[in-house]
Amino acid sequence: MTQEDAVKIFKCLSDMSRLRIVQSLNQGEMYTELLAERLGLTPSTVSFHMKKLEEAGLIVSRKEQYYTVYSLNRDILEKTIFDAAVSEPEQTDEQQKREEEYRRKVIKAFFEYGKLRSIPVQRKKKLICYEQIAAYFEPGKVYEEREVNEIILPIHEDYCTIRRDMISEGIFRREGSRYVRIK
Amino acid sequence: MKEFIAYLDSRIEEGKAKTAELLTGGRQDDANFMKVQTNIYEVCKTVNQALLSRPGAGIGAVKAQLERFRTEWSASLEKAKLHGNARAIAVEETKLSALKDIIAHFEEVFEG
Repeated sequence: MTQEDAVKIFKCLSDMSRLRIVQSLNQGEMYTELLAERLGLTPSTVSFHMKKLEEAGLIVSRKEQYYTVYSLNRDILEKTIFDAAVSEPEQTDEQQKREEEYRRKVIKAFFEYGKLRSIPVQRKKKLICYEQIAAYFEPGKVYEEREVNEIILPIHEDYCTIRRDMISEGIFRREGSRYVRIK
Repeated sequence: MKEFIAYLDSRIEEGKAKTAELLTGGRQDDANFMKVQTNIYEVCKTVNQALLSRPGAGIGAVKAQLERFRTEWSASLEKAKLHGNARAIAVEETKLSALKDIIAHFEEVFEG
């Protein structure tokens, strides 16, 4: 467990509803509807809490016919508060971490369900958005212009501007009417 | 109309009291969902008053706006479900549940 994991776990458990869910799951596996009934919450609210608990690694889920059944991840829960408190920080470069965080914020601000809300004016943000779009293209694969347009269009209607900008930013290389993702 | 506004006001007061109670009970996220629910009653009260203050606008305009909300929020819910966004699903379901209550009360008061 890293310090980052410990923070995530403490944050997740600092909520009475989630503690009550953990308490209920301690009695055995359960599915959302049953937990909702027990705790007097709506199933969608319980699902939201389950997602947070799952992201913190505190519960695990498995599909069973129409239901998702949840159970406690005892490997994590049976560690002591002391184990979590003295955990080591993750071995990542601070600068890289800050950049990753900035990138995440830009993507969250400019994308909604995979669609680009608007083309950022600031170049740094624009590049991050274009790199996100570039992920839809296989590096080294040759695409016809029509294919490039078809991939970009569902993301943003101004696919011409984006396609041109991606060439000038060195994300695509243009060979006649063909395009290759180079970064 | 006074009766309908009084009903919205009572729901707003109830919502605020429940939010405070949830916060005291260490349930921050549930309190946030309760805030969302309370906000729907506030929005509907504002829309109601704004529409009825317009010359020529009547109960029909209010009902039409409530139906527009239902259509928009149902679409948002479907979108959230499609992308498995648990927070958005909970928010949209909370909004729709409050709206359902408002529409039911509206119909009871104005359409008998």
